[in-house]
Amino acid sequence: MIPIISKIFAVLLAGIAISKSYVGVRTRAESFQVFIFWTLTWVAIVIVALFPALVDLVIASFGEKRVGLGTVFGMALVFLYFLVYRIYMRLDHMEQQLVKIVQELSLRDWKRTE
Amino acid sequence: MVRSDFMSTNKTVAVVLPAYNEAKAIGKVLAGIPASIGLMSVSAVVVDDGSTDHTAEIARRHGAKVIRHLTNLGAGAATVTGMQAAKVLDADVIVTIDADGQHNPADIQLLVECLLDGPYDVVIGSRLLDPAGMPASRFAANLLLNAVTYLVHGKIVSDSQSGFKAYSRGAIEAMALSSSGYEICSEIIGEIYRKNLRYKSVPIKAVYTDYSKAKGQHFLNGINLIIGLLMRMLRRA
Repeated sequence: MIPIISKIFAVLLAGIAISKSYVGVRTRAESFQVFIFWTLTWVAIVIVALFPALVDLVIASFGEKRVGLGTVFGMALVFLYFLVYRIYMRLDHMEQQLVKIVQELSLRDWKRTE
Repeated sequence: MVRSDFMSTNKTVAVVLPAYNEAKAIGKVLAGIPASIGLMSVSAVVVDDGSTDHTAEIARRHGAKVIRHLTNLGAGAATVTGMQAAKVLDADVIVTIDADGQHNPADIQLLVECLLDGPYDVVIGSRLLDPAGMPASRFAANLLLNAVTYLVHGKIVSDSQSGFKAYSRGAIEAMALSSSGYEICSEIIGEIYRKNLRYKSVPIKAVYTDYSKAKGQHFLNGINLIIGLLMRMLRRA
């Protein structure tokens, strides 16, 4: 039961992500290249979710036979956490820059009118 | 120096009100701010944090100096902008107070006198020293946030989330604040600890109306605040 739910979950998430990216292209909020990148990424994720045995084939092609799916997904999870952390730090830095700019502009306007 | 020495000088007090869509409440708050404390003149500085209502116009009508953020940055960023403006005005004492009517502007005098009498660098208007009338959920949430503030900044005070404080000019210049949101209250407590500032908590009565309860921090804000504080701790690590 759980494998089926996880497959449905992966397909649903992929659907949402791709449709949001598509809306982004339509509204010119993101470029076509970015849309293609995320579409391919999510299609790959859905393929792996629907046919996890493919991972074994890929690992076997590298000559390794004793690496389990758990190891692969564990590494993927660590990598994703790292990615989320980097994105958070970057966003936080950008937000701080934005705050400084708005504060500086507001004070400059105010001083001019005082 | 005793109080009378301060009260008889030509020192100035700037009252900073960070405000976001407070058209319904800010007029009454501004009307309640005393024009002077002793011989010290008091000026109100409203930081309109990208409001979409008439907050700025109402504030101007009440004689406040109004600084407008082009977009909504958060209560913390608005407070910092107000502190910077107070420095430009060369204020000797800076008071921050909520614009939603939760604090009684008449208590400004109490905080300023306590600051000058101490002398202290920071006086915190604490709602938890006399919590009668505070909704139980607020009381519990404030205790939890006191604990989180202690974990992150290593300093325990009776009301870490109070937005009603008085600062000396020196304290404002000493603190390095970077929070944009509500977590600035905890960051200030951390700065008091790190910069070794003299502080005191004095009891104040918070006014809980349906409006101020709706405008104040709610559960999701509290979760965001805790996440913000924890991320801040990670950044410092």
